[in-house]
Amino acid sequence: MEQENHKIKAVSLLRSRICDPKFIFISESPESNYSKLKFMISSSVTEACNNSILLLGPRGSGKNAVLELVIQDLLQEYPDSVSVIRLNGLLHSDDISAFKEIARQLCMEHQLLFSKAASFDDNSQFMVAILKECGLAHKTVIFVLDEFHLFAQGKQRLLYSLLDAMQSITSQAVVLGISCRLDADQLLEKRVRSRFSHRKLLFLPPSIEDSQKLLMHILTLPIDSSFPHAYAVEFNRKVQNIIEDRRFKETLNKYLNVDSSVKHLLRFLFCAVSHMDLQTGFLSRENFEIAFTSIQRQPKLECLRNCSILELQILVCMKRLEVKEQSLCNFNSVMKEYISTLTSERYARHVCLRAFEHLIHRELICFTDNRGQSLSVEFRPVKLLISSAELHQGLRANTSCPPKLLKLMDREG
Amino acid sequence: MPVIAAKRTLRSHPSSPPRKSPRRCTAATPNSTPTMNRFGADENRADPEAVKPKWNPKDGEQLKRVKLALHLSTAPSSVVCREEEQNVVLEFCKGCVEHQKAGSLYICGCPGTGKSLSMEKVKDKLLNWAKEAGLPQPDVLSVNCTTFTNTSDIFTKILGLNQTQGKKVSATPLQQLQNMYSQKSSNKNMTLIVADELDYLITKDRGVLHDLFMLTTFPFSRCILIGVANAIDLADRFLPRLTSLNCKPIVVNFRAYSKDQILKILEERLNELPYTVFQQQAMELCARKVAAASGDMRNALCICGRAIEMLEAEIRESACNLNTSLEEISSSRQNLATAPDFMKKREFETVRTDHMARALSKTYRSPVVDTIQSLPHHQQIVLCSSMKHFRGAKKDTILGELYKSYVGVCKSCIIPPAGILEFSNMCRVLNDQGLIKLGQSREDKLRRVSPKVDEGDITFALQGVRFFHNCL
Repeated sequence: MEQENHKIKAVSLLRSRICDPKFIFISESPESNYSKLKFMISSSVTEACNNSILLLGPRGSGKNAVLELVIQDLLQEYPDSVSVIRLNGLLHSDDISAFKEIARQLCMEHQLLFSKAASFDDNSQFMVAILKECGLAHKTVIFVLDEFHLFAQGKQRLLYSLLDAMQSITSQAVVLGISCRLDADQLLEKRVRSRFSHRKLLFLPPSIEDSQKLLMHILTLPIDSSFPHAYAVEFNRKVQNIIEDRRFKETLNKYLNVDSSVKHLLRFLFCAVSHMDLQTGFLSRENFEIAFTSIQRQPKLECLRNCSILELQILVCMKRLEVKEQSLCNFNSVMKEYISTLTSERYARHVCLRAFEHLIHRELICFTDNRGQSLSVEFRPVKLLISSAELHQGLRANTSCPPKLLKLMDREG
Repeated sequence: MPVIAAKRTLRSHPSSPPRKSPRRCTAATPNSTPTMNRFGADENRADPEAVKPKWNPKDGEQLKRVKLALHLSTAPSSVVCREEEQNVVLEFCKGCVEHQKAGSLYICGCPGTGKSLSMEKVKDKLLNWAKEAGLPQPDVLSVNCTTFTNTSDIFTKILGLNQTQGKKVSATPLQQLQNMYSQKSSNKNMTLIVADELDYLITKDRGVLHDLFMLTTFPFSRCILIGVANAIDLADRFLPRLTSLNCKPIVVNFRAYSKDQILKILEERLNELPYTVFQQQAMELCARKVAAASGDMRNALCICGRAIEMLEAEIRESACNLNTSLEEISSSRQNLATAPDFMKKREFETVRTDHMARALSKTYRSPVVDTIQSLPHHQQIVLCSSMKHFRGAKKDTILGELYKSYVGVCKSCIIPPAGILEFSNMCRVLNDQGLIKLGQSREDKLRRVSPKVDEGDITFALQGVRFFHNCL
């Protein structure tokens, strides 16, 4: 019983680490983005100056996670001097709702009564007045604008008001924009761009060596009293062997060559840890191979695997028509090709039409016109949405595919 | 005179090598004292301003004062390099107040050229002048047009200044203003209206802007209207009828700051401090770069602030090294005399040209090259194939065609290509970062793809990778 207990505890520990940004992103190196960002915001809080910073990087690179860690640390160090206002470009993309949300969060932060009936002018003047009061009280307001490029649409009144208020000597604020667009500062209007200090923090995906170090950091168990000593040592030795395995390195490189962001790597680790064998209590290379296979999905190939023989025949006929430089075809031309190609065991026309409609519903083929239901299905132009290679793999993966059809496809390819 | 000063500086150099033995230190003291006295006396006689000591970056109070002097929100006591423009506006306002005559003025210029700051100074000077001359002081209304939800709210604000009219009429504020300015009134005060960010009042029919400037043409109008915006041709482009009605506003252009003006403004801000913070060459470099790029004074102040942070970071790093060397010194006491000299060397540094160069590169450098270099391998191949695809006359293509090009590049390099779904995901990631542009379509393969990054940037970023030598 105790044996099962510490194995389950090991899986829980590894999973919680994968989901914990504090374990992944905190690094005391002064070159890390965590240290740089903390220094910038701490300087603004202690020296009572205004600042605006842009965090740029692809999705999944840890921008929001690092910022939340920095804000938590600042709220612990300066509990009375820092208040945080959070906005999201997906939720508050128009100026009226953004100012209303700012007023609501400011009221909640300072125990004031929020009025839903307040107008745009009231909310914007309220924000300027609160910033003035906070400046006099030496309190810093941190504005977090997630999806910053979505605030840069329209007339950008919110950005102008925020950055213009930061120019006055009384207010004390930091505006942090988070965006995945590298040209986020180019989207700004010229007077907003002039008021924005061009401080950018670039979040780049980690290199292969850093990813492997992170892997080791996450997957090793602590050798202390929480786990049996022999089990922890054996577990870490096996993890070390897996990471140094050549085939594992090939799989990891293949996985990270497509997307090397941190979130992508964590998803891979979560799948692998979830498949850990609870009988032996150890990770194995097969867990990572299964995770790689389950993530590397091809939904169109899976769709092809479940097709009937008639549907496969129709797809092959459409591919033959495509090879004959007919990029567009309709049901009638497909039927003509079907009749001329398959000389025996043909289905009736209405059965073929039903199979044709199934393919449209699966979105393996689609209509090319946008005119809706003006024509009958038989006469509307359709287009094949899978490539020759995909169709080839699908035919070979289908267990009930007749060999004659495969030969027909080979002859065309 | 500078040659003699240079000679003295060169002569004083041999007297400042690191002293290793106490005997040498004692012996050197009588020799260096007369030299320093003579040097100091000459400096006092030649240029009193040059005797400012260098600052101590480790002193928190001094650091705070320097950063405050360079911050955007610190308005200087007098606006340097804009005296001519201020005088033009001030004389115009004085004439209107003196003759009880309405008028309109339009001030244009790029962001960061000191328009709003100059208007604040002109307002103060006008009120002081009216008080001294014994004339009735004008009412002042400063509005920022970005704060209006409705563009016609500006008339409500102007009407609010003349709250003495107690009539509750059902007419709109514009009509009330037009009625008021069409008949004689007992109120003799002029009204100065400064409308900042004027182009936010532009509507499709341009009615609000036109009506605003037409207010100054009424027979008993008492308003002096000053509009501030960025476009030079706003009056010509959006108010063409004013020319035919002979009430076109006078245009005052705030040109972008030149190198000398930026240098003068920076020196004027730093002159109030009792110590020297920047090397002259560093300030010159900053002024030249900003004047060449945009002429924006906000940029110059931000870059100087960042250069100070570069110096701060360097001092913190050397402090770590000093702690390490102090630990080494404590183990062997023979080098104990070296530590004070080492600390003396590091103290009282100014911001140098390399600090400024790093701050400038951080501000003006695009993050595109760094991002391309750190993309995963297959995303780099996607960018490479898109670059090859668009080398001809093509401007855009569909995703299926780009996928064929991508598969071709992978085959030529004997690499298994990713599937169409992964390829589509990679293109979406590149579109999110702004490296390519992906259109909308019902079906994935039919989306339109067009490049957004220059071909030279991709070539420069990928030329270091051996894999791409044949592809580029």
